[in-house]
Amino acid sequence: MEDDQRGVESVSALDGLAERVTAGATITEADARLMLASHDLIAIGVMGDAVRRRLHGARTTFVRVFEIHVNAPPAGRPLHVSAGEFRIIGRPASFEAAVKAVGAASAIASGVPVTGFSLIDLQGVASESGQRLDAVCSALRSAGLAAVAEVPVDLAGDAAADAVNAARSAGLAVTRLTVHALPDARAIEPAVRARDLQLATGGFRVFAPLPRTMSVTEPSSGYDDVKQVAMARLLAANIESIQVDWALYGPKLAQVALTTGADDVDNVAAQESGALGTRRSSLEEIRGNIRAAGLEPIERNAVFECGWNGAGGGAPAE
Amino acid sequence: MSTEALADHVRNGGRLDAAGALELYLDAPTPLLGRLAGEIRRRKHPDGVVTYIIDRNVNYTNICVARCNFCAFYRPVGSAEGYVLGFDDIFRKIDETMALGGGQLLLQGGHNPDLPLEWYEDLFRSVKQRYPAFRLHALSPPEVVNLCRLSRLPVPEIIDRLVDAGLDSIPGGGAEILVDRVRKLLNCYSKATADEWLDVMRHAHRAGLRTTATMMYGTVETPEERLEHMFRLRELQDETGGFTAFIAWSYQPEHTELGGSEATGVEYLRTLATARLVLDNFDNLQASWVTQGGKVGQLSLAYGANDMGSVMIEENVVRAAGASYCMDEMEIVRNIENAGFTARRRNMHYEALGEPIFRGRQVPRTLELAVARGEDDATRPPEIGRYAARSAAEKKARQAGATE
Ligand code: SF4
Repeated sequence: MEDDQRGVESVSALDGLAERVTAGATITEADARLMLASHDLIAIGVMGDAVRRRLHGARTTFVRVFEIHVNAPPAGRPLHVSAGEFRIIGRPASFEAAVKAVGAASAIASGVPVTGFSLIDLQGVASESGQRLDAVCSALRSAGLAAVAEVPVDLAGDAAADAVNAARSAGLAVTRLTVHALPDARAIEPAVRARDLQLATGGFRVFAPLPRTMSVTEPSSGYDDVKQVAMARLLAANIESIQVDWALYGPKLAQVALTTGADDVDNVAAQESGALGTRRSSLEEIRGNIRAAGLEPIERNAVFECGWNGAGGGAPAE
Repeated sequence: MSTEALADHVRNGGRLDAAGALELYLDAPTPLLGRLAGEIRRRKHPDGVVTYIIDRNVNYTNICVARCNFCAFYRPVGSAEGYVLGFDDIFRKIDETMALGGGQLLLQGGHNPDLPLEWYEDLFRSVKQRYPAFRLHALSPPEVVNLCRLSRLPVPEIIDRLVDAGLDSIPGGGAEILVDRVRKLLNCYSKATADEWLDVMRHAHRAGLRTTATMMYGTVETPEERLEHMFRLRELQDETGGFTAFIAWSYQPEHTELGGSEATGVEYLRTLATARLVLDNFDNLQASWVTQGGKVGQLSLAYGANDMGSVMIEENVVRAAGASYCMDEMEIVRNIENAGFTARRRNMHYEALGEPIFRGRQVPRTLELAVARGEDDATRPPEIGRYAARSAAEKKARQAGATE
């Protein structure tokens, strides 16, 4: 049973919080729990948006990502690709496989930054190959890797800060915090961990609070997603951007998230499908959606440079 | 009036005029629209109940002479992909619906010249004979207009005959945008003008039927025309009080002649909330999860909706245009409760029927909606031969069948 009285939102419970948020205060973990327990979706969204606007105004960044599976890197550059990030996905089978995938990706990326792997997987590769993490990262850096693609906060153990520092000392950027899975939609722990990891190491640019994996029979609800985004915006106030995945969450939910705390869109398609002539390009679609939400679209690349000029003949950014 | 003054006007129970509605629709912050719509929903439904219906969305034929340019569902007369469901197909769908706790079909289809009024009457009668308590929410106004033209009878007579045969209520489909400029551009003016659509509903209400009303936005219409649509519905509702609910959905562009792109999620929530403000004489506002997906479908409950629509079981029209979401009863109820409301099953009159079926007995999960019929199923229903063919293609097909 839900704790709130059915259909009667806990407006009063959130009132005090809304005032403090508007006044610029950071919220506590108890506040975060209160937000997730409430059904007053609009009040929650307004708080998320207030902080987002204080930090970014209407500026909304997005990145077109070309994904390469670690076990199946393409031999040549595929047609119609215009990306700000070439990202290697999947867990590498071995250290050699990781280096090889980075080499293959760099060969076709034409100067677009190559990112890849979760920091957890790289830790696994290091221990399996009997190497130190910084040595693995150095080798990947030499093969052309610019950044570790993600640090899933729920999988990162207590030594996460050390691992982040090791990867950075090897010259890799480590800027993106993600959540692998969120079994309980009311859990505040991932946002707490993101905030604390940032306190410990600094240097993270984005936190993507919505989980990368979810149940097929019981997916998270729209309310759950919006509340997580807004709560993450408020609680992880020390991280610049809250990110939402365009492909994974879909344009409709992702667009709403941009009005309730998120300001950065990940994983916009980098490859246009030539077959569907009438379909708008992904670039038009993302820009149209951002503008329809009253926001200003700005394209960025993997290393957060705005106004990049989509290598490989991509459209110039705004 | 300023946005704030308009908001106060709405809060105090005032009625919006066209200018005020347009100003709110275009300029009010989305959270403000949501809050106002939420207040009206609470006023109309203070018990915090959100309803849904277990019924099946059946399309008896996809053959259609209307050729609306936004439609990805229809096939022209004579097309190899055209179908008409047999009565037995429909009985089987009813059996499956009843097994899931459903008591009604939403039955709509193309304007098929080879299905005369008698086909519908016989179908309805045979359904009622086999399943006396089962309800038929059937034939949107353009289909009724089509039957008027085929049989050269006036609207009230067609409605009387259909009711006599077993029609229980009329779905509000085919309204698109009730502005003739738009209808001409969408090539749906000839299937029914705005006045013709409203007139069918007027007669249906006078005959004692309740009906719904819909709006398909996001094609070629202006924001003013979306509001004009809502105001025309509000006017008729003032006159008859026969509408149970309003349902807005966004145009689905894939595989259509018109093409283009779909309106966004935020535009949907704004349109829904504005409808709640304008349609102050409609009790129920339905969320369109079938076009918006389950997540934005659920968010609709914060923007004025008090009904999650139908579990559908089957869907053919929206799927043809690219959207294929699915929510079974368990998923709908989970979403309603997750948003802080009480879930109740309802009938076509929006009367609460009770607790979710799956809480009382085991119901299999449905993770994908069914389709009208199997892809390689090209059978012709046996009873179709009982009715005179009108189209040249159908006459030829029957001749070929007879000489085989
Ligand atoms: S929308 Fe209806 S009337 Fe128009 S072409 Fe499609 S099936 Fe026919």
